[in-house]
Amino acid sequence: MGVEEKLKQSKKKIWIGVAFLAVFAAILVAVYMIAGPKAKEGTKQCTLEVENDQNKVKSYKISTDAKYLREVMDELVEEGDFSYEGTEGEYGLYIESVNGLKADYETDGAYWSIYVNGEYGQNSADNQPVADGDTYRFSYETDSE
Amino acid sequence: MGKKKEDSRIGWKVSDIVTIGVLTATLEAAKIGLAFLPNVELVTLLLVVYTTVFGKKALAASFAFVGVECMVWGMGLWVINYLYIWPFLVLLALVVCKSGCRSVWGYSILCGAYGLGFGALCAIPYFFIGGPSMMLTWWIAGIPYDLIHGISNFILCLILYRPFRYAVEKCRIVVIKE
Repeated sequence: MGVEEKLKQSKKKIWIGVAFLAVFAAILVAVYMIAGPKAKEGTKQCTLEVENDQNKVKSYKISTDAKYLREVMDELVEEGDFSYEGTEGEYGLYIESVNGLKADYETDGAYWSIYVNGEYGQNSADNQPVADGDTYRFSYETDSE
Repeated sequence: MGKKKEDSRIGWKVSDIVTIGVLTATLEAAKIGLAFLPNVELVTLLLVVYTTVFGKKALAASFAFVGVECMVWGMGLWVINYLYIWPFLVLLALVVCKSGCRSVWGYSILCGAYGLGFGALCAIPYFFIGGPSMMLTWWIAGIPYDLIHGISNFILCLILYRPFRYAVEKCRIVVIKE
């Protein structure tokens, strides 16, 4: 096989590889659009609860047009009776503190979990769609629990 | 004679152990160094480069890297993910390398595809925790992050594979000479 022929074959392989990558990405986009979390328009009534390290629960009743939980949190922050801090992690917002209570995983294995209607949440706060009647709970937990 | 026999039985030279230590340290430094950029990392590229230069030794470095990560971050479900995710990447890179791939495009496609599939690979333990629906929900929720991961992996490899490989090969020659 000549050098030119080899080069041609190599280029063909590269194009096939790049096409495979593009198709893979397109499939992921399609799956996310079909089955991904969907936000709803309009006003929703929901409840946000914060369970601290003493298992005390503070509850907030909210009427909101927000599509995602993080927007609800930001609205509550503006109202003044709620606060949170976090960093952008590999899978969205990683909540580090709520209402001034910091969960330090490195020190004592503590972290903030999100529950949606009593079920362990599968989305970060910025990906969790807000639905009418839902209850969201931030729960301070430790690995030893 | 006796020493030679012992060396072949152990299969590891001091330089191998030092090399694996250095590879592990650079992996951890790369991980921490880019931790402020979510879903953009150099660990994938480094492991691919290490595999093309050092072969199976990169597998030991991938396991050692998981050990160091455990010491830094503590134990969690992610440890199970890491225990198969990074060694799996080394195995993939070994297969691509053994197939005779010399093109930076080939390795960039590998890094890109690995980034796109990262969430799906990480979702496997959730199948055993909460069944297929939990695994699928978890995977789908993370797809936007996988897309960023895949695209950034592809671009980083395209730009950095050659200089990284050149630098690693230079270091390897120095170790062999000394």
